[in-house]
Amino acid sequence: MKVRVDAATCQGHGRCYALAPDVFESDDHGHCMVIDAELTPEQEAAARAGADNCPEDAITLTDD
Amino acid sequence: MDVQPDTDPAMVLFSPDAADEPHKPYRHLLEQCPVARSDNGSISGAAGASVLISRFEDLNWALKHPEFISSEDAVAIGNDRPLIPLQIDPPEHAKYRRLLDPEFSPKKMAALEPDFRVLVNQVIDQFLDRGECDFHEDFATPLPSTFFLRLTALPLSDLPVFLQWRDNIIRPDVEPGDFDAAAEIRAATGKEIYAYFERALDDRTAQRDHGLLSRLLDAEIEGHSLTREELLDICYLLIIAGLDTVTATLDCMIHFLARHPDERRRLVEDPTLSPVVVEELMRFETPVMVTARTVKQDVTLGDVELRAGDNVTLVLGAGNIDAEEFREPETVDFDRGRNRHLAFGAGPHRCLGSHLARLEVRVALEEWHRRIPDYRIPDGAEFHFSPGIRQTDTLPLVFGSG
Ligand code: HEM
Ligand code: SF4
Repeated sequence: MKVRVDAATCQGHGRCYALAPDVFESDDHGHCMVIDAELTPEQEAAARAGADNCPEDAITLTDD
Repeated sequence: MDVQPDTDPAMVLFSPDAADEPHKPYRHLLEQCPVARSDNGSISGAAGASVLISRFEDLNWALKHPEFISSEDAVAIGNDRPLIPLQIDPPEHAKYRRLLDPEFSPKKMAALEPDFRVLVNQVIDQFLDRGECDFHEDFATPLPSTFFLRLTALPLSDLPVFLQWRDNIIRPDVEPGDFDAAAEIRAATGKEIYAYFERALDDRTAQRDHGLLSRLLDAEIEGHSLTREELLDICYLLIIAGLDTVTATLDCMIHFLARHPDERRRLVEDPTLSPVVVEELMRFETPVMVTARTVKQDVTLGDVELRAGDNVTLVLGAGNIDAEEFREPETVDFDRGRNRHLAFGAGPHRCLGSHLARLEVRVALEEWHRRIPDYRIPDGAEFHFSPGIRQTDTLPLVFGSG
């Protein structure tokens, strides 16, 4: 599974990296950066929690 | 739907006791008139029709489409010019946020945590032995404002003046509905705030200190320093937005936890729950009930035609208990997985101070419950929440069980 953040949509709420610090991290502005787009199976649940809680719908998960 | 004067939802929402139990008027709005337009003028006394927007989905749309629903002309709180960044629309808005965001980033804020934790304990030390306190007066008010003055490196001795200004601006002491008197107090207070920051900026122009104002003096946008007016318009907003909101949030949360011992026990027994408790109570309590906008271009929302110039109230608190978005919205559920609440807004104007606020509220709850796990509101205590930004006038607590 892959994770992607749309930088233009992200407003820096910081919900994603608070919930899934192994998947997302904050840049100096508080906006989200994906640590590694390729998720390990252990990371998937956390990545989904981050995506679910993003108020801007900036995070997408894809199967491939 | 169009509404009649006597059932004007704005009147219901801003009635003196609505903020004590805001879910009632929120439900009414969500069920009866999720987009309510009335020609009776706005709740602030401004001319023109007023619109209340209450559904999660509509709020989310409005917050993210400033080209239709703009904050440019929306707030008059004694300021001479638009507040920065609140009353600047994109794309201009982004250049100010690029400069301010790093000052309030999660990484910067995390570095402040140890210092803040010490402060929380010092504040608790002041009243712990008494076995009781006025939570609003003794804890929720001094804590965030002291910390804010440290961040800005302004003298702590100025705190009483700041608190007086804050009250004059946010809840001026006038007869309900006397908009002229309120505007007069705000204008006079506004002059004092500008004069204060003129002096503070002069001092730091002469000699830099380690605080936020000095860093703003050295900051650049596209190769230019900020003008004196821009600096003042940023300071003005920060002092209003930074002093009041965290106080209100602490009041709301402790009021809830004092009356819900089961939820409180979960937090006491498992302090690692605190981030989730903060998010869920932000949603359920929504300390900042509403925010203001005006319509910039005609647009239809939920069958209602909004006209350019209409005054809009975004009822964030109603959106946060909308069953279309939140499963069992009336239940406080710390195990709620998905929680995209709007308590800090959304879209470009997403609260600049949200990472600071989250840190303050979380650490305050952790230290309070570590040291004072049992407390209650004494029988017969009289207090009220103020509408708009929901803080109490007084919140008496006694410590210990029984
Ligand atoms: C728990 C406490 C807080 C709550 C509930 C809160 C709530 C909000 C909300 C709802 C907005 C969006 C307003 C709108 O879209 O019209 C906002 C914006 C803002 N807040 Fe906060 N706030 C809090 C704490 C703070 C603090 C501590 C600061 C100071 C650093 C702050 C500074 C700001 C600023 C500057 C904006 C405008 C941002 C912009 O327009 O780009 N807030 N806040
Ligand atoms: S939660 Fe969404 S908006 Fe917030 S930082 Fe993460 S991606 Fe960006």
